[in-house]
Parts: sequence; C-alpha cells; structure tokens
Amino acid sequence: LIFPALSPAADPAVISPQDPTLLIGSSLVATCTVSPDFPLKAEDLYWTLNGRRLPAASYAALGPSTLSVALARLNGSRQQSGDNLVCHSRDGGILAGSCLYVGLPPEKPVNITCWSKNMKDLTCKWAPGTEGETFLHTNYTLKYKRRWYGQDNTCQEYHTAGTYSCHIPKDLALFTPYEIWVEASNRLGVAVSDVVMLDILDVVTTDPPSDVHVSRVGDLEDQLSVRWSSPPALKDFLFQAKYQIQYRVEDSSEWKVVDDVGNQTSCRLAGLRPGTVYFVQVRCNPFSIYGSKKAGIWSDWSNPTAASTPRSERVTGGCDPKAGEQNTTLRRELKQFFGWVKKHAYGCSNLGIKLYDQWRVWLQKSHKARNQV
Amino acid sequence: GDSWGIFTFLCAALCNLPALPALNCSEELGAGQSIQQTYDLTRYLEHQLRTLAGTYLNYLGPPFNEPDFNPPRLARAERVPSATVDLDLWRGLTDNARLAANYRAYSRLLCYLRVLDGQVGTAELRHRLAHFCASLQGLVLSIGGVMSSLGYPLPTGPAGPPAPSGAPVASNDFLKKMDDFWLLKELQTWLWRSAKDFNRLKKKVPPAVVTLRLEARGF
Repeated sequence: LIFPALSPAADPAVISPQDPTLLIGSSLVATCTVSPDFPLKAEDLYWTLNGRRLPAASYAALGPSTLSVALARLNGSRQQSGDNLVCHSRDGGILAGSCLYVGLPPEKPVNITCWSKNMKDLTCKWAPGTEGETFLHTNYTLKYKRRWYGQDNTCQEYHTAGTYSCHIPKDLALFTPYEIWVEASNRLGVAVSDVVMLDILDVVTTDPPSDVHVSRVGDLEDQLSVRWSSPPALKDFLFQAKYQIQYRVEDSSEWKVVDDVGNQTSCRLAGLRPGTVYFVQVRCNPFSIYGSKKAGIWSDWSNPTAASTPRSERVTGGCDPKAGEQNTTLRRELKQFFGWVKKHAYGCSNLGIKLYDQWRVWLQKSHKARNQV
Repeated sequence: GDSWGIFTFLCAALCNLPALPALNCSEELGAGQSIQQTYDLTRYLEHQLRTLAGTYLNYLGPPFNEPDFNPPRLARAERVPSATVDLDLWRGLTDNARLAANYRAYSRLLCYLRVLDGQVGTAELRHRLAHFCASLQGLVLSIGGVMSSLGYPLPTGPAGPPAPSGAPVASNDFLKKMDDFWLLKELQTWLWRSAKDFNRLKKKVPPAVVTLRLEARGF
C-alpha cells in the first residue's frame, strides 16, 4: 500500500471511540472513518481484535468511507496495555487502531500488616482485594496520618517487601496512634481499604542476633552449646529481649524449636545424636519496650551455623582407605602440574590447586542438589 | 570416574587462557582494546534486547508480538533515528562519520527508552528497561572512548531528542504502541549494524597500537 504524500498530522483513518475504558461484559460499537485524502471505501476495510479478524457479520457500513463493528459482552483485556482493535485496508495494511481497556474497578485492599525495624521506620504490606485480577493496571497508594492530626501523608518507597508493600523511612512519632490505609485505583474507579490503627511501639522488630557460635560441650556426644550476642540496635532502647532457637539435622528439613530461652544469650542443646552435623538458628523478639508488657515481632532467623556432635573413636565401616590415598596422590600430581603451568604460561592463568579445591566443593554441592530434587 | 572429571575441569580452565603456547597477557590499553570492548558490549546489548523486546512486545499484545508484524511507519515516527540507510552509502562514510552517527543515534535512542521506562506498566518490564538503559549508556560512553583514542572529536549538540519540529508526540495509545514497536526495531537494526562496524574497525586499527608479546616456549 503506497500512501500519498502526507502532512504530518493526517492519519489514514480515525477510530471512534479512541482508547475507551469499559466494564467487563459491556458491548461496544466502534467506527473507522477513512480520511478524505485516501481512495478507500467502507467495503475495502476490515477489523481485527488482538490480531484476530472479526467476523464480517458484525460490520456495518455507516457511510461511503465509514465502517463500524459491533463487539458484545467483552472479556477482560488480554494485556494490561489494552486490547488492540485495528482497522485494516483490504491488503492487510493498518489504517488506525484503538486500545480497549476492559476490566473491573479495584476491590478494597485487605490484610494490612506493618512492622518497624528498631523503631526507626515502618514497612507495611497488604493484599489486593480480588486476588488482584482487575485486568487493568491498578495503582496502590499507602497513606498514613497521626490520629487527631489533620494531615494525610503518602508513602513513597514501594515494593520493598514484595509487590504490595511500602516503606516509610522517617519522621515517625512514638507513643502516637497512627491511622494507615491503602487506596487502590485504576481506570474504572477507586477502592479504599479499612483503616488500621497502630502505635509504632506495638510492631517493633529487630535484627537477628549476631555472632552465633555453636560448639561442642567437651566430649559429650549428645550436646551442643549455642552462644550469641544481642542485636546491637537494641542497646539504644529500653526493652527486654527474648530468644528462640531452632535446629535441625543436616539432612532433615524438620526444625526443632527451643522456646523457653528467655533473655539469656546462651543455651545448651541436649538429647542430640552423636556424630551428627546440626544447623542452628536464633531469632530475637524485643518485648517490654519502655516497660509495656507487649511482645514485639520476631526478627528473621540468623544465618544457619553448623556444628557437629562428637562421635566416640571407633573404626566404622564405609571408609575406604584406598580411595583416600588415591585422592592425595592425584592432588599432589595436580599441584605439580599447576606449578609447571604457572612457570610456562606465565602471567595470565588463574589455575592453581585452590581453584581445583573450589571445583570439588562445587561438584559435591551440585551432586547434593541433584539428589534432593 | 575421577580422572574424567579432572580432564573436563582442565579443558574448561585452559580454554580461558588466551592461547597456547605461552602468552604474556599484558596488552597496552589503546584503541584496539577500546574497539574490542565496544564490540563486545554491542553484542551483549543485542542479546539483552532480544529478551527485552520479547517481553515488551508481549506486553503490547498481538499483533505487535507476531513475528511478521510490520506496521506502517507514519510521518510522526521519523523522530527515532533510522538505521535503514543504504548500506553502500553507509560503508562509504569515513570512520569518523560512522562513529559519530553511532554516538548520536544511541544517545537519542537512550533518551526515548528512558521516557518509555517512566510510563511502562509492569514492575518486571521497568526493571528490564532500567538494566538495558544502563548498559546502553555504557555503550555511548564506550563509543566516545573509541573516538577519543582514535583522535576524533566527540559530536557536539543536544544529547536529547530534538524539539518536535511539527511532528507531534503520539496522540493516542495505539499510535504510541506503534512508536514503541519502531523504537525497538530500530534499536535492533542499529546494534546489528554497529557490531559489523566495530568488527571492521578492529581490523583497520594499525598493529602498532595493539601489543601482544608472543613467546613460544618449547611446547
């Protein structure tokens, strides 16, 4: 199709309505009017919706160069950028297009939960009303204000803890009730969640304990001793901390929880299996902040620390001495080889026995991962 | 068992050495290195763009993501620098002119992409676009580096898109989708052609600028 010389503003055709917003289930009649500069008639045109040709039975010629199409009971938009309704000339060329936004108004966001890290900030998350499917792009705005003080504030930092979350970094007062709510809006309307009221001090959490050390208790085969430091941020505020420990055997996914640790920073685990590797984690709850009896929110678990219980020295089967020997001979030879390589391909090789060792660790891990699947 | 593993490990590691026999890997950082890096970056961007374009065109929806889609390029779409220039004409330009054209084109394309980034719907797309823009910014700087190392002046003039000279910004959502389609298409063509340009330039750069000391060592 060859277009005659155009002034920049002239489009080959115009569609009406242009980029409409519609409720699911509604019907629409759209028209395509060819510009007078073009030698096209209504019978030279056809419609497609999202690339699929629409049946000629739904067309009607409203004038010599205007063709309409009737769309009934529209489904929700296939993509959030809008359904593509296109008016074509007979040879397939595109004359004009219109984006249809078909969907539902948003529902009230629900399940607003908030937490404050060390009383310095506030992060909240929520869930969209209808499992999120409105077919239209929906914007969420978290708002908050101090109760009895007029001004609404808007949260700015979104997606910090998942898609439906927002982070308020500063200017939060303690011992003050806040009202928090979420507004959802899209092209079809707005929905406001219920208001949640809280005091920052009610929802405080902190960092996990640091410097977690797990060690054996002398020769005792069934015990391990766990020690940690309270999270550093806590010394800034008046509170008590309580702790929880969880541990599991290396090959298991079942965690055992020790609940009654209180506010000590050490604990002894007993009743363990000898000669076994255990993974241990600790977490902290800052409670009784400024004297209130309320509990805070548990921190994340600390990174797992591993330790093994001793096994009494006995010759057990399954340890092939020959394989061990083979390994050391091989390793020695490799070391020599790398030394030689270093001398003769000088400067640019990162080869070395260290790299070989790293590779062996990686090999073991990937074997494990494969076996766990 | 074990020996086969060792063998594969060695093969993999040795393949990372530039070449055997022995090489001293200290190359002087000159135009040759710059051009190679720019070439590599162009290829990397080509690869990134494939994924980005795929995701973006799916977001625009059919027919935009259909393989044979070829909408008209209306007069308004002229603001995006076009790579579809006569190839003989292109090859006939001097190195300086070609480099300058590349530099200017990518600077403008970057601007348009950044505008796109501000308007696009999904978080995943925004993330991909941001990453691509960062890499594209790197390409512009890299081309600038090549031009400097070859002694050419950097093109002056506004880095942003030129003021709309009568051609208005897309006046409806569908036209905007077509503009976006052409932006990605032109970007693809530019990157494809730039890779060839830099490959040819690599071979032209005088050997004195690149030093690689090769010493055979009785292998």
